[in-house]
Amino acid sequence: MTKTLNINGSTFEFVDGESLLEVAQRNGIGIPTLCHDPRLKAVGACRTCLVEVEGQRRLTPACATLAAEGAKVTTDNARIARHRQLLLSMYLADHPIGQKNRGDDELLEMAERFAATPLGALRSARPGRSENVNPYIKFDAERCILCARCVRYCEEVEGVQAITLAGRGSLTTISTADARGLLDSSCELCGGCVDVCPTGAMSQRAGWPLLKSDTKKVRTTCNYCGVGCQMDLVVDPDANDGRGHIVRVDSPGPGTTTNDGNLCVKGRFGTGFVDHPDRLTVPLIRGEDGELHEATWEQALDRVVKGFAAVQEAHGKDALGFVSSSRCTVEENYLVQKLARAVYGTNNVHQCAAT
Amino acid sequence: MSREESQIPELIRHLGGLRTGVARAISEQTGVAEAQIYGVGSFFHLLNAPDVKLRVCQGLSCRLAGSENVLESIGGNGVLASPCSCLALCDQPPAVLNDRTLSTWNDGEVVALDEAALGGAVSESRSDMAIDLAGEPDFSNRALNRALELGPQAVLDVLEASGLQGRGGAGFPAHLKWRAVRDQAETERFVVLNADEGEPGTFKDRAVLARRPDRVVEGLTIAARVIGANDVTIYYRGAFESLMDKDFEYRGVRFHLHSGHGAYICGEETALLEALEGGRGMPRLKPPFPTTKGLWSKPTLVHNVETIACLPEIIMRGGEWFRGLGRSEPGSKLYSISGHVQKPGTYELPLGVTLDELVEEAGGYVGTLKAFSPGGASSGFLPASERTRPLDAKSLAEVGSMLGSAGVVVLNETVKMPWAALHQLRFFAEESCGQCAPCRIGTRLLAEQLTQHLSSGAPLDAVDDVAWEMGEGSICGLGQTAALPLTSAMKYFPEEFSR
Amino acid sequence: MAGLVTTFGAGAMTNSIGEIRDVDCLFVIGSNTTEAHPVIGMEMKRAARRGATLIVADPRKIWLSTIADRHLELTPGTDIWLLNAMAHVIIAEGLTDDAFIAANTENFEAVVATVAAYTPEQAAVVTGVSADDIRWAARTYATTEKAAIFYTLGITEHSHGTDNVCALANLVLMTGHLGKPSAGLNPLRGQNNVQGANDAGASPIYFPGYQRVDDFGALARYEASWGVTLDPKPGLNLNEMMKEMGRKLRGLFVMGEDIVLSEPNVGHLEKGLNGVDFLVIQDIFPNETTRFAHVVLPATSFAEKEGTFTNSERRVQRVRKAVEPPGQARADWSILLDLAGKAGANWTLESPAEVYAEMVKDTVRFAGISHERIDREGGLQWPCPTPDHPGTRTLHEGGVLRGKGLFTAIEYRPSSELPCDDYPFVLSTGRTLYHYNSATQTRREEGLDSKQPEAFVQIHPRDARELDVRSGDEVAVSTRRGEVRLKALVTRQVKPGRIWMPFHFKEARANLLTNDVGDSVTGTAEYKVCAAQVVKVGEGTSKFPGAYAVE
Repeated sequence: MTKTLNINGSTFEFVDGESLLEVAQRNGIGIPTLCHDPRLKAVGACRTCLVEVEGQRRLTPACATLAAEGAKVTTDNARIARHRQLLLSMYLADHPIGQKNRGDDELLEMAERFAATPLGALRSARPGRSENVNPYIKFDAERCILCARCVRYCEEVEGVQAITLAGRGSLTTISTADARGLLDSSCELCGGCVDVCPTGAMSQRAGWPLLKSDTKKVRTTCNYCGVGCQMDLVVDPDANDGRGHIVRVDSPGPGTTTNDGNLCVKGRFGTGFVDHPDRLTVPLIRGEDGELHEATWEQALDRVVKGFAAVQEAHGKDALGFVSSSRCTVEENYLVQKLARAVYGTNNVHQCAAT
Repeated sequence: MSREESQIPELIRHLGGLRTGVARAISEQTGVAEAQIYGVGSFFHLLNAPDVKLRVCQGLSCRLAGSENVLESIGGNGVLASPCSCLALCDQPPAVLNDRTLSTWNDGEVVALDEAALGGAVSESRSDMAIDLAGEPDFSNRALNRALELGPQAVLDVLEASGLQGRGGAGFPAHLKWRAVRDQAETERFVVLNADEGEPGTFKDRAVLARRPDRVVEGLTIAARVIGANDVTIYYRGAFESLMDKDFEYRGVRFHLHSGHGAYICGEETALLEALEGGRGMPRLKPPFPTTKGLWSKPTLVHNVETIACLPEIIMRGGEWFRGLGRSEPGSKLYSISGHVQKPGTYELPLGVTLDELVEEAGGYVGTLKAFSPGGASSGFLPASERTRPLDAKSLAEVGSMLGSAGVVVLNETVKMPWAALHQLRFFAEESCGQCAPCRIGTRLLAEQLTQHLSSGAPLDAVDDVAWEMGEGSICGLGQTAALPLTSAMKYFPEEFSR
Repeated sequence: MAGLVTTFGAGAMTNSIGEIRDVDCLFVIGSNTTEAHPVIGMEMKRAARRGATLIVADPRKIWLSTIADRHLELTPGTDIWLLNAMAHVIIAEGLTDDAFIAANTENFEAVVATVAAYTPEQAAVVTGVSADDIRWAARTYATTEKAAIFYTLGITEHSHGTDNVCALANLVLMTGHLGKPSAGLNPLRGQNNVQGANDAGASPIYFPGYQRVDDFGALARYEASWGVTLDPKPGLNLNEMMKEMGRKLRGLFVMGEDIVLSEPNVGHLEKGLNGVDFLVIQDIFPNETTRFAHVVLPATSFAEKEGTFTNSERRVQRVRKAVEPPGQARADWSILLDLAGKAGANWTLESPAEVYAEMVKDTVRFAGISHERIDREGGLQWPCPTPDHPGTRTLHEGGVLRGKGLFTAIEYRPSSELPCDDYPFVLSTGRTLYHYNSATQTRREEGLDSKQPEAFVQIHPRDARELDVRSGDEVAVSTRRGEVRLKALVTRQVKPGRIWMPFHFKEARANLLTNDVGDSVTGTAEYKVCAAQVVKVGEGTSKFPGAYAVE
């Protein structure tokens, strides 16, 4: 039997175990959230998703309240509107970003949406981590709203528990053990903390804050292991004399791809090689002097065709071998085997990781 | 979390507090992540400042007794002293915590208090008392035996007839909690004693533990046998250590003693359960309530010390008898009273006495009554005109206050209300767990705004909004009530807030 | 790969990555998943957190073994003893799925007969895993409905790698843990497109789609499609090519691999390369092999070209161009098309999308997949035979693809090289989280390199004491094939008598040491077991604390 509940006067079906937030989101009813992430256990800590449930005196967090048969839920009325506006105004009072680049900050966007303005101004009490020496991840304590998405991601998804909520009250902050640098912790630099942070308190050292309008995003597949994580290369198209430069890697939203929004250190941070000065940029041919010399593509390709022909002439067609690559694309592997078989007449073709 | 993790706070303590490297050492020993250990240690004041030996109470009653001067004179000479939240010694101010020994400041000396001193001043024995703090401890187990004879259902009926409500502050009917736990399908159940007394102005549980441990142990055993639990955990305030024993077994029930490490919020029952499990003491969302998912997610009966201590006499003399002890609500009640009264102490009186009656028991006023706080810092302030209002749950709720833990602080004409309110606000800002924004930010905003108002006359224009949102948006009772000291003071003493 | 094609009819993960979180018993063998496949590792952690039973079989302590219900710390190379003994227990205790066996398999009797001799007690002697643990693992695996096996190169990089895969397949078939969500057998591919390269026919025995070159139907199909005559004789596999280098093999084209760093026993290979008449390297960086090249062609990275990668779960996903290639570098596919044209071929292909379309024309399994469709719908999992087919999440759901799952009776054969007086240690090699293969990419990334800047070899404290070695000391590790010098990392992560080192570092090339004996079927080399000696050569301190070490 299907179960139903009522949200804002309309009836919706749900299955056991779904939260009010999930039912609402599935049906296009907007409820603001800051600490929610579908990969993480609901904690109801940010308080932005509070709604009214008939029969309950107190407002209740939609993320942490299970849908119940016959429940009557209100997601918007004068009381909830006042709550949202005041709550966000209080967050803003404790979010002294001042002249900092505002970047992509969910709190500021939400505050604009609900017409919230700072209710006073506090100087952030949260301690930062001065010894946080690592190449990738920056923590700006002032921007932190203690939604603990990063901490919970680190524990519940990445499972390394490198960071924790530390201290208490307004001194609460995000810290490693003894406030050491991430490199001296169990952190595996997956960057999930950066990805889940709503305000940019956790950010990538490189490429942030860069406005969306200055970059383009290209969805592609990671080139490291066989998981096939989908990722978005954030490209500054004007860099490198118009060649473009990958400024950072974002993960797609949770639930949208195989990797469920997750990436590892190599996927998220391992694209620096693309612009490395060691890259081969010109065809090279070994000369009589035994050294490699720059050549044109025309010269190089002619040399290859001649060289292969000579080998086959002298030693037979199976004296030629083709090592293809599991790093290259399906299409390129197809072309190598077709080249070997259809053009050079040999089945001596194998990819480098044929296990 | 594993049960091994529940040992983390103790391990930190045994390594001398959260010094650099301690988290890593414990991690290597236990396999628990070092960040988690650090997060836990950094939450508790008695763990996160290992070099502080002396702590001087800055609660309202102690401030009335000049504790800020104590802090000044005690520091230096290589001794590191720091201010701290209410130490539950409001009757013998100024209170000082020497490591974990509850002490008082007497003639420039830190004087440790023995069990007798910790009992404090109490009412003389009378027959119409459920606890009778002045009475002789009685280890005959008469009530326990009687409860076992009666059987669980009969005991529950007696309990229902008694009208006993939780004495920790929330005032929930006890028999409903017991039945909720008993009715769970899960057969592993726990009893937890909340002895983490910390509400400013309250020290009654300290008095019970010092004077009538018999009542507590017998009450807990009865509770365990009735709801079907084999384990009782006592979570006591770190400062009460001298009153506590080691783990023991009693009449087939295992008693586990667990020291708190300095966090007011752990008096909130779900925060207490978190702390017991070795976590940061941050309140859980309710529901689920502890009766269905409590300690280690098992059905758990959590009771305050005083509630439990009422049980033996209820069993012996019946529910109706206990109900009859109260004037406006059932039972006799322990009132802690301190501040401007002659004889601060813990007095057992009919529930619903007035302030004047209570103060009479405490030897009379010092000076002229100006205001009082009827139920701990969370209850805010009431003006002298409310001196004849019954000190019970219903009557106090009518004026936007509450009975709470019945920690009464009396203020006379010498006290400035903005000053008093500021101290309570600072207490809440200090003790907020930090989990939710309305409380974490709101307590600080209010304290900040009041400070500026006092120094430069800045308007208190955000108070209403902030207080409203703290009440609506906070997860637990701390944040929901923390604005009350200021809003009530502004309501009853408006002239003191406009320059 | 070949083992799975033979037994099941398809060489790929039978489940999908998204199913891992719902598995109730994970049997992870020969896979340091959290380092080699971190994001699949996250799914495993998620399952374990949820309460799934996690069984890890690995000679080393690894991250997953720290959260496992039990860690079977087997002696390297003794997998067959462990797996056959588990089969022994399952059969002896009547835990087989007889209905599944009857309906979906053949040759079960042969396995019953063979494993009878593999008692847990005897297996304990050989593997070092207690009989109790073997029984527990067998029972737990057999009696959990959603039980899935995950393996990587720890299973395949042995001279008997195909045997190992077949032994795993036997467990799957006898328990019927196949063709269901969250139950199956799952090889995790080490590289982004191992699956896709295999699918595309980069193999001496298969055309695209696993159609054998000596199958005359397939041969005729491709002869017609390509308009040429094709050779039905299978070619040399990689291992054979490396051994025949400079002998039978005189010309070589290498695309995107540093064979001198990646292939085993490179001392021998380098000699062979000197005898090659003509070597072409097509790559993005100069590497150890370019020293031997006659022509070097600058190619593009994944961020500079269009195409597809196929991941471990058979999902074909798009690679898209984000930036322009540097200098005159060109996309590999376009270089290959030019080469074919210059060699006289008349191919009319102009884009990766067209190449893909040509490929799927003759392969039913991929026929429904196209670039255009992936762009519209996202990645697609084969089998996907028609444009309206949604793709296949779980393999063998409608019955085993091969028709009948084939049981294969496997007898234990020791690794080809065992410890002896001169080489008393068992050396295994592998990957770490922070580097990738020959590390041409990762060691050019500052952050990854700072987390793990130098090569190391893991040694148990007891062995270290005898060798007078402390962490950070320089040691020489030698085998019958060569010697490298690197830093010692003293850790209980390895058992006494065993050492482990990563293969990422060109200044300490693990593959100077490894044995190039290949699996008889796939040619995959025995990277996981060879006999080695360790000698201290200098004192010092390491720049970094090393890989994740479990103390």
